[in-house]
Parts: sequence; structure tokens; C-alpha cells
Amino acid sequence: MTDAKDPIVRIEGVTKSFGSFTALHEMNLNIASGEFVTFLGPSGCGKSTTLRILGGFEKPDTGRVILNGQDVTALPPNKRNVNMVFQDYALFPNMTVRRNIAFGLELKGMGQQAIKARIDELASFLELTAYLDRRPDQLSGGQRQRVALARALAPDPALLLLDEPLGALDAKLRAQVQVELKAIQRRTNKTFFFVTHDQEEALTMSDRIVVMNKGRIEQDGTPEELYFQPASRFVAEFIGETNLLSGRALPGDQGAAGFDWQGHQLRAAATVGKTAPAQGAVTASLRPERIQVQRDRPTTENAVQGQVVNRLFKGHRMLLDVAVGDTVVQAYTDTDRGRDLADGPVWLGWNASSLTLLAD
Amino acid sequence: MTRNTRILMQCIYWAFVLYLLIPLALMMLMGFKDSKFIGFPIRDVTLDWYLAVFQDSQVLNAMGYSAIIGVLSTAIALFMGTWIAVALTGRSFWGRAILLGLTLLPAVIPGVISAIAFRIAARLVGLEPGMWAIIWSHAIHNVPFVVLVVMARLSTLPKSYGEAAQDLGADPIITFFRVTLPYLTPAMIGGGIFCLLLSFDDFVRSFFLGGYEPTLPVLIFAKLRSGMSPEINAISTVVLVLTAVLGLWAERSMRGMKKRAAND
Amino acid sequence: MTLSNTRPASGPADRPGFWGRLSGSGPYAALTDVLLASPRRQFAILLIVPVIWVLLTHLGPILQMINVSLLTNYPPGPNNVPTYTLEHYGKFFTDSIFIQPFLRTLIFSSVLTLTTLIIIYPVAYFLARHVRRDRQMMFLMLLLIPFWVGEIVRIFAMMILLGNNGALNLALQWLGLTERPIPFMYTGFSLSAGIIYLTALYMLMPLYSALEKIPPSLFEAAADLGAGPWTRFRRITLPLSLEGVSSGCTLVFLISTGVYATPVLLGGPSTTLFSEVIAGFFHVAGDQWPVGAAFAVIMLVTALLLTGAFTKLMAHLAGRVKQ
Repeated sequence: MTDAKDPIVRIEGVTKSFGSFTALHEMNLNIASGEFVTFLGPSGCGKSTTLRILGGFEKPDTGRVILNGQDVTALPPNKRNVNMVFQDYALFPNMTVRRNIAFGLELKGMGQQAIKARIDELASFLELTAYLDRRPDQLSGGQRQRVALARALAPDPALLLLDEPLGALDAKLRAQVQVELKAIQRRTNKTFFFVTHDQEEALTMSDRIVVMNKGRIEQDGTPEELYFQPASRFVAEFIGETNLLSGRALPGDQGAAGFDWQGHQLRAAATVGKTAPAQGAVTASLRPERIQVQRDRPTTENAVQGQVVNRLFKGHRMLLDVAVGDTVVQAYTDTDRGRDLADGPVWLGWNASSLTLLAD
Repeated sequence: MTRNTRILMQCIYWAFVLYLLIPLALMMLMGFKDSKFIGFPIRDVTLDWYLAVFQDSQVLNAMGYSAIIGVLSTAIALFMGTWIAVALTGRSFWGRAILLGLTLLPAVIPGVISAIAFRIAARLVGLEPGMWAIIWSHAIHNVPFVVLVVMARLSTLPKSYGEAAQDLGADPIITFFRVTLPYLTPAMIGGGIFCLLLSFDDFVRSFFLGGYEPTLPVLIFAKLRSGMSPEINAISTVVLVLTAVLGLWAERSMRGMKKRAAND
Repeated sequence: MTLSNTRPASGPADRPGFWGRLSGSGPYAALTDVLLASPRRQFAILLIVPVIWVLLTHLGPILQMINVSLLTNYPPGPNNVPTYTLEHYGKFFTDSIFIQPFLRTLIFSSVLTLTTLIIIYPVAYFLARHVRRDRQMMFLMLLLIPFWVGEIVRIFAMMILLGNNGALNLALQWLGLTERPIPFMYTGFSLSAGIIYLTALYMLMPLYSALEKIPPSLFEAAADLGAGPWTRFRRITLPLSLEGVSSGCTLVFLISTGVYATPVLLGGPSTTLFSEVIAGFFHVAGDQWPVGAAFAVIMLVTALLLTGAFTKLMAHLAGRVKQ
């Protein structure tokens, strides 16, 4: 994905510091046209700085930003064909919804009738027709979010930036808007650049996720790649729940890596992304839902024995804490089976592809 | 606080309210007295003094003169005050504290000293005592108040509003007129009315910078020096009503602004 | 979905609105090219007007007043070219006619400031802590309305109250407390009553906003820890309101030193204030201006030094209590 054939945005060697704090280290990234890219990371990781550099609100210290083949590094926001949905939506409180959406169109010099047509079109598309003459303070959170989206889409930007636009919504609405937003992106075929710290949001909507940490790209790939083949300990911990097992790397065989954990000789997935060391101390990631828990020895490639020490009821499934040696491994099982496994020894089993050796 | 101290404080509050309001109430009452002499008791009541106010061309002229001075000086103070507030807000630069200090300077110079400083400066630039000298001095004196009110409002303006406007293609000038200025309007209305009041009420600057034509406070001062009469009560009452209405309007405008800021 | 095109209007059939026409017009583009070329230039243009205004109109008159105070004569005549001198300042220190009102002004202003503080503190405290939030505005408004009325009208109201046939004397006589009217007017008493009437608001507002900001939970926490009312006042209320005390006192003191109409109308020969002395030099044609300017400078410098030292002291006190 990094070598997209038709990149609409090229970030070339961009570095940005604020005082002694380096927000971005030498970033290089291509974004393909029509892609839904999510920048994911904890606060201060540089994802918002990247967004603001693309929007023109910050100037990089070094490097270039190429938009549609044109170097826009030095252009102010008002001269870029990029629009943004702000975290707080930033709807102009003194204007009606209609005037808000018209704002960017007017400044493009469009005729008033053409503007009206375009607003009506967007409003029916985003189900805002009934609210066009209201002011932002008369709208609900979800409606405001759609107005912000309509306003940013109206001038037909080459790239749409979204700065944690779902943060202000409650959990239920957020889930619904995630689906809507993805649908809107598909239908408009616009390039979306979405920034969030919420991994679930990122997994749901994105074509591609870029995980950021301390100003650097940690991993860049599809949601599945990130989830099942985390390149680093940071990614494995940040996305989803996981067990981190400390052991030693062993020479592998037949397309699998070897891993020595508490004396068990385990088979692990061949590493992807950043290469984990082939020898010596290493950490491995094992997703709790990839583990089978049962009384008798499973037929999986790896199997170890342990003792259930705690159970956490989560409705349709149960999270078991299983002590293996001096480590507690968490594993999901369905609720009925979890009840039967209350105490006594159990077997944990998983295949080589579920155990990923990590670079730090 | 114990119950007793609370009651004591309540008494002090009401005593203070009486101290503030009784003189004004008496002044209004005295305007109805059917006699040339100020003082109690009031035996007969008349509306003549109030009617006389609206027929006295000297008073009406002074009122109009004060109003023109108030409006023009307020316009200048609003323009400069808003500009300064915008320049001072949102970024730190070398000398910002000095600039802010100089901006607030006219508000802390004692009245007489500020009046004579303006008198000397007016002479330096060849401005004759009269309407423009007064307007100029009122404008300068009122700028700090506008700056404070507008800066307070500006500090609540989310940064994203201006960024959103620029993002949608507005240059900084259009952004100011379409986003920032509308946001500042309630503060400017409140601050403007406050300036209008300060100008309309000002005596010391109008006195030292005035020419032949008196502003309303200068006229009342002159009348007071030549002896008290219920006519002055009537004039003062008219002034009181005018200023109270303006003041309440300003207060409402500022309060609405605070409420809206809380809702945003 | 394909959305309709967003191309700029072409042809007269569909004109853009005002902002579209403005941003699309040639002259405006030329103007913004010059004005908004870079963020640095934008900032310079934004700043240059305030800097010029402040230097010329805020600082300029004060500097010119200092300049005139050092001239032998002003305005300059054709055969009377002024030179620089300190004699006007010397005049102040050699003549008790001037020093007396000067000292009187300082003492008077200080005493009045203290009096105002003592009267207003309970009022502000009562408003901020004992009046329900939603009714505070109404209670405050009762105090604000009189202050919107100008200086002159308020002095006049005070004259009606305190005159020999005034309401106060009438009430005292009716109560049988006095046989003959007490001459309140043209004394230190009437002058004080007038000045407090003028300045109290400037004490009230800073105090009220400082006291209002103290979270009530602090008092509850202190009471919970066993602090009595007096301790709570001394350890919480007073230290946290020092900032309000500081700015309130500064404002009241500065205003008191600069009042003019009030001493003229409410004061007498024994209460001449320095502002009247200064003003006296400006009633005449102009040859006395340098002396008046010098006196004004003395007053201004003294007032600013005193209030500056006071503010520093209060900041120091507040800082020490916080530790």
C-alpha cells in the first residue's frame, strides 16, 4: 500500500519540532486517491501534527508535501484544495447551516444559484435538508458532525482531513456514525485522512492504518495486518488485547519461527514488518481469542498446560486467567465452556500463525 | 461565618444601597418642587421644571453636543480598541507586556492630570479647544476599556473557528470580517455603550478641553456654581434616566454574551 | 455518488455573492498580495497601527507634559524662546502653599481608600457569598445604577442630601438631635462622602470578582478540618482576596488623587486638594502652564510610585500566604 501507484499526497522527509520537542521525525508517506487512511496513536505521537501540516496550519521544518503533483509546503490553508472536519466541528455560530456550507463555495467564486444547487445536493445526501435554516446551537451532536462534513466536502477537496471528529459523540451514536462515515467515503470516493486515538474506530473504518509513536511511523498496513501481524510490541499492545510472552528466539524451520517460552519449544509465525531478532531475548504477542482452552490436549501446533485462576464474565464469552508457570495468560472462551473449566488443570492451544515475535 | 456577622453584613449592604440611592431619589423628587429654592420640605408639586428642560435650548444643545461627542469618540475607541485587542491576543511577542501596559495607561492616570496632559498635547498638535479636542480625549481615555472587554471575549473564541474559515478559502482579512468580528459583536456593543456612558458623563476632560460650547456635565457644573435651582434637578433626572437605560442595555448585552459563551 | 461541479461562475447568468465577488476581484487580490504576503508581514501590519496609536496618544501627551514642565515658558513667544529648567519643580518644594494641599491630597486619598475598603469589603463579601447566584446580578445592579450617572449629577445629589436645608439636616432636626442645621457642606466630611460616592464601585468590582472566584468547597473543607469562622476568614478568604484588595485600593487611590469637580463643589477653603492647585495654573492664558505641568508630574509620579509599591507589597503578602 505504501507504494501506491497514484499517490494524491506525498509526504517527503517531513520533520517538525516545537521547541525541544520533536513531533515528527523524517516522515515519508504516500496516500492513494480514494483511500481511507487512519492515523492512529496516543496523544503526542505526531498524528495531529501530520494532519495540521497537510492542512497548512503548520509549516514543516524540513521536507515537502506534494498534493496532486504540486508542492504545497509553503501554501497557507486558504490556498490548498484540502478541507478539514475539526474536532469541535468549528461551525460558525453566527451563520445558519446553509451559510456554513456555502462559506467555502462563495470563496471559490461560485454563482449563487450553483451554490444553492450544490448545498441542496449535499443536504439530501447527508440528510440535512430539514436543518438548513437552523443555527449550529440548535442541532444535536450528530447533526453538527454531518454539517461539518458537508461544509468540508462542499468545495470538492482533493483530500479531506478529519481530526477525531467522533470524539464528542456518545458511544452508541459513534458506532452508527462510523458506519455512515465509511459509506460516505465509499460513495464520494474522496480521499479521507482520519486521525484518532481510538483503535476500534480505526479498525472499523479504515482501508489502511498508520500507527504512530513518538513522531515515527510504527506500522503501516491494513487493519487485519496490524491486528494479526503487529510489527512491534507497541502496535501489539495498542491495538486490541494481547498476551505478551517473554522468551527466547530459536532457529526456525519450515516457514515458522521458533520460540522458547518457559521451557516450551513453540512454533511462531515468520516475522513481518520490522524483523525481530533471530536469537536471544524476544517478546511474542498472542491474542486471547486465538487460544483454545480445553481439558484434554488440543491438536494445535502449540499446546501448554496451566491452571485457571480467575474468570471474568463478559456476556457472550468469558475471559479466563490461566497461570502457566509464573505467567498469567488470558484467553477467551465461550461462556458455557468457561463455566465447565472453573478449576483444575487446562490445556491452552494455538497455531504458529497466532504467535507473533515482536521487535521492541 | 456566624449568623450575627451575616446579618451585620446584610445591614451594611442595605445601608450602602441607601447611601447610594437616597441622594439620587431626593434629587429626582426635588425636581417636582413648586418653588425656586432647593431644600425641604416640598409643599407644592409641579411638572414645570421637567417641561422647562425640554424647552431650554441651551440644555437641548448641550445634550445634542454631548451625544455627538459620545457617539464619535465611541466609534474611534471601538475601532482602535478592537484593533489593539486583536493584535494583543493569541500570540506572544517581544514587547507585548509593554504594549499592553501602554494601552491601559490612560485608564490609570488620575483625572485632572490626564485632562491637562491632553490640553497640553492638543496645543502641541494645534487642536483648538472644542468638540474635536474633547472627542479625541474621550476616545483615548476609553480605548483601554474597549481593549479589556474585547480581549476577554476574544480569549473565548475557539482557535478552530478562524482555522476553519481559512481552511475553506478565506484569507485573514475575510476571516476577520466573517468570523472574528461577528463573534466580538456582543462585547463591542457592551463596551461601546460603556464608552458612550463614560463620554456622556465625563466632566474633567470636557471642562479642560472644551471651547465656548458646554457639554451637558459642564453646563450643569456651570449652573451649580451660579446657584442651585430645581431646574438642575430636572436636567439631572433626565440624565439619570438616560444613563440608567443605556447602562442596563450594556449590562444585558454583556450578560447574554457570558451566557452564550457558557453554552458554546 | 457524483456531485455537481464546483467551478467558479462564468458568465453573467449566475453571479457570485458579495464575498465571492470581493475575493475574486483584481484590486482586492492585488491588495492582499501586498498585505498578506507572509505571516510576518501580516503581523507587522496588524501591530504597526496599535503601536503608533499607543505611542502618539497614550504616551505622547504624558511625555509632552513632562517636556513642558521643564521649559522656562510655554507656549514659546517670538522673542521668548524657552530653555530647559528645573525651577518649576523647585517652586513646589520651597512654598508651603503647594506642599500643604499636596500632603493633604495624599493623606486624604489614603484615608479614603482605607475607609472605602472597610465599608465595601463586607458588601462585596455579602454579595459574593451570601446572595444566591441567580440573584447576585440583581443585588449588584442596585449598586451599579448610581455609578452610571456622571460625576456631576452625583455630586449634585450629594449636595441636596447634605445642604443646610438638605434631607439629612431635616431628618436630624425632626428627630430632635440638633437644634440648628449642622454645616456638613464645604467640609472634609462632605468631600469624603462625595469621593466615596464616586469611587466605591472601583473597590467593589475587583473585590467582588476576587471573592466570587473562591470555591465554596474550600470553606467546607476548612470547617470540616475544624477551622472556626475567624480562622477561615484569616487563612482562606483574606489571602485569596488580596488581589482584589490590591487592585481596588490602587484604582480608588488613583481616582481620589485626580478628582476635580468634587472638591470644587463639595469642598471648602480648608480642604483644597492638589488637583485644584494644578488646575489653577490652566485657567489662565497659558504662561503658567509649565508650573502646572511640573506639579502634575510630581502628583503623577508620587501616585504611581505609591500605588506601585502598594501593589508590590500586596503581591508579596499574597505570595507568602500561599506558601
